[in-house]
Amino acid sequence: MSYKRARKTDIRKLWDEEIIKSHDMNIRKRAAILTAIILFGFCVIFLRLVDLMVFKHETLIQKAQQQYQKVITLMPHRGMIWDRGMRELAINIETDSLYAVPSDVNDVNTLSKELAPLIRVSASRLISKLSSERKKSFVWLARKIDEETSLKVGSLKNKLKLKEIGLLTETKRYYPKGQLASHILGYTDIDNKGLEGVELRYDKYINGEKKNILITRDARGVNLSQGSEGDIPGNNLLLTIDEGLQNIVEREIEKAMETWRASAAVAIMMNPMTGEILAMANRPTYDPNSPAEADVHERRNRAVTDFYEPGSTFKVIAAAGVMDEGLVRLDEKFDVSKGFINVGGGKPIRDVHRYGVLSFKECVQKSSNVCLVQVGMRLGEKDFYKYVKKFGFGEKTGIDLPGEVNGFLRDPKNWSGRSLASLSIGQEIGVTPLQLLRAYSSIANGGNLMRPYIISEIISPSGEIVKRFTPAIERRVISEDTARVMRDILKTVVEVGGTAEKASIKGNLVAGKTGTAQIIDTKTGRYSSNDYVSSFVGFVPADNPRIALIVVIYKPRGATYGGVVAAPVFKNIVEHTLTYLNVPMDTEENYVILVSNPR
Amino acid sequence: MKNSKGIIIPVTALIVIGIVMVYSSTALMSMGKYGNGFHFIWRHLFIIVIGFLTMFFLARVNYQKLMVFVIPLLVLSLALLILVFVPGIGVSAGGARRWIKLWPSTFQPSELAKITMVLFLADYMSRNASRMKSLRYGIIIPISVLIIFQGIILLQPDFGAAASLGILTITLLFIGGVRWNYIAGLALLSLPVIYKLVWSVSYRKDRILSFLDPWEDPLGKGFQLVQSFIAFGRGGLTGVGIGASKQKLFYLPELHTDFIFSLIGEETGIIGAAVVLCLFIWFFIKGIKIAQQTEDQFGYYLAIGLTMMIVNQALINFAVAVGAMPTKGLPLPFISYGGSAALINMAAVGILISILKSHGLQIANYNSWVRR
Repeated sequence: MSYKRARKTDIRKLWDEEIIKSHDMNIRKRAAILTAIILFGFCVIFLRLVDLMVFKHETLIQKAQQQYQKVITLMPHRGMIWDRGMRELAINIETDSLYAVPSDVNDVNTLSKELAPLIRVSASRLISKLSSERKKSFVWLARKIDEETSLKVGSLKNKLKLKEIGLLTETKRYYPKGQLASHILGYTDIDNKGLEGVELRYDKYINGEKKNILITRDARGVNLSQGSEGDIPGNNLLLTIDEGLQNIVEREIEKAMETWRASAAVAIMMNPMTGEILAMANRPTYDPNSPAEADVHERRNRAVTDFYEPGSTFKVIAAAGVMDEGLVRLDEKFDVSKGFINVGGGKPIRDVHRYGVLSFKECVQKSSNVCLVQVGMRLGEKDFYKYVKKFGFGEKTGIDLPGEVNGFLRDPKNWSGRSLASLSIGQEIGVTPLQLLRAYSSIANGGNLMRPYIISEIISPSGEIVKRFTPAIERRVISEDTARVMRDILKTVVEVGGTAEKASIKGNLVAGKTGTAQIIDTKTGRYSSNDYVSSFVGFVPADNPRIALIVVIYKPRGATYGGVVAAPVFKNIVEHTLTYLNVPMDTEENYVILVSNPR
Repeated sequence: MKNSKGIIIPVTALIVIGIVMVYSSTALMSMGKYGNGFHFIWRHLFIIVIGFLTMFFLARVNYQKLMVFVIPLLVLSLALLILVFVPGIGVSAGGARRWIKLWPSTFQPSELAKITMVLFLADYMSRNASRMKSLRYGIIIPISVLIIFQGIILLQPDFGAAASLGILTITLLFIGGVRWNYIAGLALLSLPVIYKLVWSVSYRKDRILSFLDPWEDPLGKGFQLVQSFIAFGRGGLTGVGIGASKQKLFYLPELHTDFIFSLIGEETGIIGAAVVLCLFIWFFIKGIKIAQQTEDQFGYYLAIGLTMMIVNQALINFAVAVGAMPTKGLPLPFISYGGSAALINMAAVGILISILKSHGLQIANYNSWVRR
């Protein structure tokens, strides 16, 4: 019976029991077996559902949460930094950052090519970044982009309906005054972490609590809910710096840099009574808004991180020591007519000019090397070293800035026969500008060595004072009498026999000292014949000092003497400062002449 | 309609659940793609209406008349399967050509091939009932037909459809009385072929590997499966509530088709999932009963074939969703969005009802019923 015939004859073919039985198994039984298998299948499915939905319920819910939400930590609002008049030196501005959700990116190449020019990276770098982080649900593409870029990215996102990228608001540290006080302030990294200056030193105070942001995903791609959870801003810093004075100082050393084509310059202004730093400036400088563009040497705060050989400015140490020990009378005569003095080993130490017989007062006034070597020798190694230490050399001043160095001071055990003489005239020692200024401040304030400081208050976001810094006396260095005498000497240095008339200041008495020191050439190990450090350090008004100031000019060209290079800078700063501070003039008619001995 | 409630109720219930879940799964996606949330659901409802019309039409037709259409349907199915490859008529998506253009949407000829195969086998086995023991009639002829279909379907390529057509055929041959050892031999012979087909294509291989351990690469190959597990896990006992799925927002691909069961699990919990399982069991048992109460062989095989066509596919879909089977793109009958399958499955239900109505009718009465 063929297939075709059957088709025509049997419209309705009933079951034939014989056929059913002729199979190796009853056909109806086969249906039962099939039913059993299928029902068993349903059972397996159900048991698996119980496993997934009941027993693994909690675990899977956790997995789900993990993928719906991701916590990213944004750096908190940093506290602000103010000058002493609460003028803003460091603030925060809101900027956009661009992120991507790599796991959502369908077409890495196209996206990268569109985005790369906007955020100024190469497309290939973007491609490799997105590809290598493919499994992540969050990655930054560009942090803290400018407003224009942000707008461009935003319109690209809308145009191409890109769900896999987005912008998130972050705060960016901003220094509204640009380079002003950059070495004091320091700067932060992209995560708002302080890297230099007070930003680094007080990072834990001004860095607020970290801020957690919960990213929740939804059908339109990714939505970021910026929870304010944990967003506690940091404390604010009130500096002792005065923006106005800082401006004056920066402007004047900038001028000096140009005039003398110097390699670097430092000026620090301090309240000698309290140790408060009023201004601290360095050249070369940088803009803390873009620290990466600056060279390392531009970011260095030489005021505390670099030491130099002070030369004549250091002579007051020996003088003050011998005075304080009562080993000399003011009018005692020293014979310096030979013009040189032999010291243990090496060449004799010479004066620049030949003097006859000088009183002790005149020794300092004229800055006679021969005389000061005698003074130092009278004091002796042990006591001289004691005064050097007492004045705070060879140790950190303890200022609240990072990177401060000790300077260079050898222990007397290691001194050569010449060392005492050298030290008396400011050689064989390395000091930081701040150390020297602090020493002069102790003379100015009556003999107390102050701890210099640059932060006056740490103020909480709500305005409470978290920490207040007060003037701290490290120790008494010299007696008040000695200090007064030293002030008089420094004053008389200025009053008589002036060789630097252009450094005169109208109206107020200045006490100060110039210094010109050769720089040791690192190549030869000898004093360089071209490179000098010219400095001037002093305080004003001499009898009731309001400010102490040091100006250090490194490697000036065209002139080298401190009296020529640094003294005019000192004069300019002081003149503007006294006007700025409204310091009354001692006398209308009194023209004070800054006398500057070359050495 | 006499006694047909038993089959209409579970099917209608599943279709209603399907409408709700298709809407739940597509509203947001549709909103994003087309600007309104109803793009998919309108199309789905349209197919459902056509499906019901087809169902009621076929329920009123004497299923025996379908014998006449077996050979034309075989030719039509083959023709349509080949048309898929004709540019301009065939539609390709995701690297496969499985559809042909048919206003307002597309049609998947492999779905038609499935019901055609059932009709063919029911007709063939009822005519050759006494010879099904033989190798020639029991294996060689029907398997040859199967291989022709599978060959074309594999060219599309659609491994899932070819495999489920194979499973369906073997199931029916088993019911038809083919010797155990022939079936076992056939299975053994097909193993190397399956191995070659799977292991030579990297994405199939990946699917097998990710099925074996989806957590090994939960964001890559195992992503779909892991997301399906998470959906079930979130559902728990009572579910997160209809419309409240989070997995549908972003994570579960092919949600309205292949993984709609995961969504049911997430939104209605194990209770909802169990209801769906029970409705399919109800349908299955009713289908088998219809077969067993049918007095002619064609009707018997046809009823089992149509029931198994639907239940097989449902079981495979469940198994894939819960990770008991490698991922295959098969929709869940009556529930998933998917025009061709929905239409064919509802047509199958129509034929089942027609078989049901023939119960207890003597030939004379039967002919009068047919004429009515």
